Amino acid sequence: MTTAEAILTAVTWWGVIGGIVAVVFLGYGIDRIDEDADGAFVFRPLLVPGIVVIWPLVLWRWYCLASGRDHWAHRHRPRRHRHRIFAYAMPIAIVAVIVAGLAVRQSWPDHIAPERLSPPAEDSQ
Amino acid sequence: MSVKYVPVQWNRSKWVYDGIMLAAVVAFLYLFLYVTPELLSHENPINPQVHNARAFGACAFLMLTVILWIGPLARIDRRFLPLLYNRRHFGVMTTFVAITHAGYILNWYFAFSSSDKYAALLFANTSYGQLAGFPFEAFGIFALVCLVILAVTSHDFWLKFLTPPVWKALHALIYFAYVAVVAHVALGIMQDQQNHTFTVIFIGGALSVAGLHAWAAWHEDRNGDRLGTEEGGWVDICDARKIEEGRAHIKVLPNGERVAVFRHEGKLSAISNACAHQNGPLGEGRIIDCLVTCPWHGFQYDVRTGRSPAPFTEMVPTYTLRLSGNRVQVQVEANPPGTPVDPVEVPA
Repeated sequence: MTTAEAILTAVTWWGVIGGIVAVVFLGYGIDRIDEDADGAFVFRPLLVPGIVVIWPLVLWRWYCLASGRDHWAHRHRPRRHRHRIFAYAMPIAIVAVIVAGLAVRQSWPDHIAPERLSPPAEDSQ
Repeated sequence: MSVKYVPVQWNRSKWVYDGIMLAAVVAFLYLFLYVTPELLSHENPINPQVHNARAFGACAFLMLTVILWIGPLARIDRRFLPLLYNRRHFGVMTTFVAITHAGYILNWYFAFSSSDKYAALLFANTSYGQLAGFPFEAFGIFALVCLVILAVTSHDFWLKFLTPPVWKALHALIYFAYVAVVAHVALGIMQDQQNHTFTVIFIGGALSVAGLHAWAAWHEDRNGDRLGTEEGGWVDICDARKIEEGRAHIKVLPNGERVAVFRHEGKLSAISNACAHQNGPLGEGRIIDCLVTCPWHGFQYDVRTGRSPAPFTEMVPTYTLRLSGNRVQVQVEANPPGTPVDPVEVPA
């Protein structure tokens, strides 16, 4: 099995497990941990893709809410300092990436001749 | 605000917002595909799949750029707050545009080999050890995965289920996604462009996002909420008479939380500054009929109890407060959400 095939197989299994979690959570769990979902069924199919994608997080939160480990104070503590870090780090990363892209760009400046990066393939698509 | 979940909470404002957004996307695609091919270096014949892929890719980049303008602009100037109101719909539409871009790429560049097209996408270029010729597709895949995670967890259920801090931490993926998109373009199509118009537009867009975020962070560092001084479990907020009627004074508590002390009909009440919906800054809202309205999405709370008006069920923590001379002080520890606290009369 190639690395690419292994990655795709892992993604497939992630989706299968997520699908099972979605069926159980939407059919059984959601009514027990969220009163706003009680009797509301039309919106539930919209949650399926989210559960499939982040099912480990869903299982963790389901456990916290069902076991009473969820503390009300956690809901009201925005992590604003985290945003400050992103606000300063993202501009640095953007500038670094653009400079890197321009540095390896072969057609700019105009007087630099193009350089072949790898030998031509035997079979072209 | 909700009592029971519905698939999408439409209202007139959201219809207008989404209508303008959709019209702008259609206009952009039309301009890109039919009006300005030479401006964007498409004067050489390219097949429709590649042309469409570039159009949708450029559109997704522009949409993501605008989305990331909205946050810092709204922090710097309140007149941009209406753009924040329905940003999640904007994000979901961006994800669909990005998926369309990926679909055109997959079904053209990787669809005609004997291998599975998804496997071909992953193994076609594995030169991860070099910058020139780096497999820029990996950045695109990463960004698309991030956008999909954001889109599929955009329903209000996820905010309540995950809690606003966890939901917002998850949605901070937007910053990583944007940097990945910039890398995807810088090491991808930008390497191929002979016409510099596209390069200038791309770099200008990316730098505008970088500059706005740095500016907004610097602006908040200079003008943001200040830390209150604590003594014996009480935190000094300000001179009670300086709080305007219907408005709040916000202070950062020693434990990092923010309290908003409101003045309503000559009396003071204190609640958490973090809205229960998305932790929006309640203290920047106004009181109308005892209810403060969150400036982000319009959730409302009675400042004396921290409760939303019936039939809504949202609640925020309240704080016990007192006067020391003319100074208003609050207790460091918040009361559980929805706990009524007697308002304190403002001294004459």
